Amino acid sequence: MSRIMVIDDEKIVGDMSRMSLEQEGYEVETFLNAEPALARLKEEQFDIVITDYKMKGMDGMEVLRTIKTMYPEIKVIMITAFANLDTAIEALRGDVHDFFPKPVKIKELKASIKRALQKE
Amino acid sequence: MKIEQKIILSNAINVVFIVLIGLLAFQNLSLMLTKLRFVEISDDLNASFLEMRLSEKNYFLYHDKNSLFEIKEMIDAAEKSIDQAREDISHAVSEENLSRLRMHLKEYAGAVDKVSNAAQGDSNAELMLRAQGKRLRDYSKTMTQIERKGVNNMISSSKSMLIILFITVLVTAVLVSHFISQKILRSLRDVKKLTESISQGNFNKIVGAIPNDELGSLITAVNSMSEELSRREEELIQAKKLASIGVLTAGVAHELTNPLNNISMITQNFIELYDNFNKENALGLLNNIQGETERIEKIVKNLLDFSKPKEVNLTESDINRPVKKALRLMQNTLDVSNVELTVNLAKDVPHVFIDDNQIQQVLVNLLTNAVQAMPVGGRLYVETEADMTRGTVEITVVDNGNGIPREYLPHIFDPFFSTKGAEGTGLGLSVSYGIIKNHNGHIRVESKVGEGTTFTIELPIYKQ
Repeated sequence: MSRIMVIDDEKIVGDMSRMSLEQEGYEVETFLNAEPALARLKEEQFDIVITDYKMKGMDGMEVLRTIKTMYPEIKVIMITAFANLDTAIEALRGDVHDFFPKPVKIKELKASIKRALQKE
Repeated sequence: MKIEQKIILSNAINVVFIVLIGLLAFQNLSLMLTKLRFVEISDDLNASFLEMRLSEKNYFLYHDKNSLFEIKEMIDAAEKSIDQAREDISHAVSEENLSRLRMHLKEYAGAVDKVSNAAQGDSNAELMLRAQGKRLRDYSKTMTQIERKGVNNMISSSKSMLIILFITVLVTAVLVSHFISQKILRSLRDVKKLTESISQGNFNKIVGAIPNDELGSLITAVNSMSEELSRREEELIQAKKLASIGVLTAGVAHELTNPLNNISMITQNFIELYDNFNKENALGLLNNIQGETERIEKIVKNLLDFSKPKEVNLTESDINRPVKKALRLMQNTLDVSNVELTVNLAKDVPHVFIDDNQIQQVLVNLLTNAVQAMPVGGRLYVETEADMTRGTVEITVVDNGNGIPREYLPHIFDPFFSTKGAEGTGLGLSVSYGIIKNHNGHIRVESKVGEGTTFTIELPIYKQ
């Protein structure tokens, strides 16, 4: 069973992602900020990390860089309320799997997750 | 009456004065000349009268008829010269005096005739001749003396008249110019005071009676300039608000997108997983949606409050209230710009008498500037503090951004002065300055390139 981590300081984003993705049979863990999430990665193996771009403390781009350095096999999907071309390009250069502006279309998110897992 | 007309009038009066006195003096001089001419003639006459008397004496001594003949000749000559001079001197000496002189001359001539016709030794005729001769000479002498005295009097009266004229013209000129310059200076002082207060952002007016002259037009012009400036300042405040909203939009968009996303994700799940929900789950999610819509409502209301043009509305207020409101409005902009905010608000701070919205706008302006001065993020410190000895409450905004070059510091509160190129309107600090001045407060800046900038706002503590 694939394991997915969701990091977003908006609690509802985590809750709703979990509700939807658990229906698809994924195992989901949610975090409100990056530091405990990265700590958790040391303990558990995850296939996919969905992270918000803009967060208090460590932001999504740092999460992406850290994961790509330490766990290159994990696919990272970035979601952001502050979507513009610059952030998208920055994310793509950081080897992000996918990039979603808020409001997130859950169906598209699920399709993206499926594609990410198939590539494996 | 206009000042120009007053000056012309007073000059005209002085000129008329001078011309009048000049004419008078001219007339005096002509009279004097005639009188002098008369004195000259009468001197001649006196001399010839003296000679007549000498001949008379000769006659009495030697009884030479030739002497009498000489006297007759001299009388004829004197009569001739009187007639000749009559035209010239009649202005100077009354006709009566002249006729009397001629009469005396005639009587003397008569006496001479009598003596020459009478038998030698007619003591009666001789006495008569002597008496007539003496009378003629006395009369002529007295008349000459009187006229000479008259000339002297005339000269001294002309002298004093000139002195009086000089003093009058001088005093009039000094008084008029003093009066006019006092009037001009007083009005100019008013205008200077007003323009100084305008330059400090207080758009007052000169009140009271406005004179109906050039100064009146100047005062009216300055008053309407002040009015116009005050109107423009309101427009500037509004323009700056709109400009600030432009800066805020990025932050606000992010702020709105989050609750929108939350609502969207909840409804997507609702639609997708409708059958899986029990009543409790469903109510929980609907409450979440309600909470998120309230969040949006609050953001929109904040923005509307800020953008709406408002009358200045001074109330007794806690300084922390507009500071908190401004920080709330800027929260997302600060987050997005990677700015670490530290806030230190004084507790139980004395109240101030302010327009919350305007002070909030000043803070939004300062915070926006601070964010723009830290393009890669940085630290921002906001503090409120009371200074009881100075009777003020202070708001301090400190950033560790780019700083402002020393040569720009004197200009940063000038309207349309901007260091941000196309990004800035150059109005933010100028408008903020105006607002703080209108609150009888001060706004100061300290800055060092590469180290950051500190803005301090001082507002007087409210006393009932």
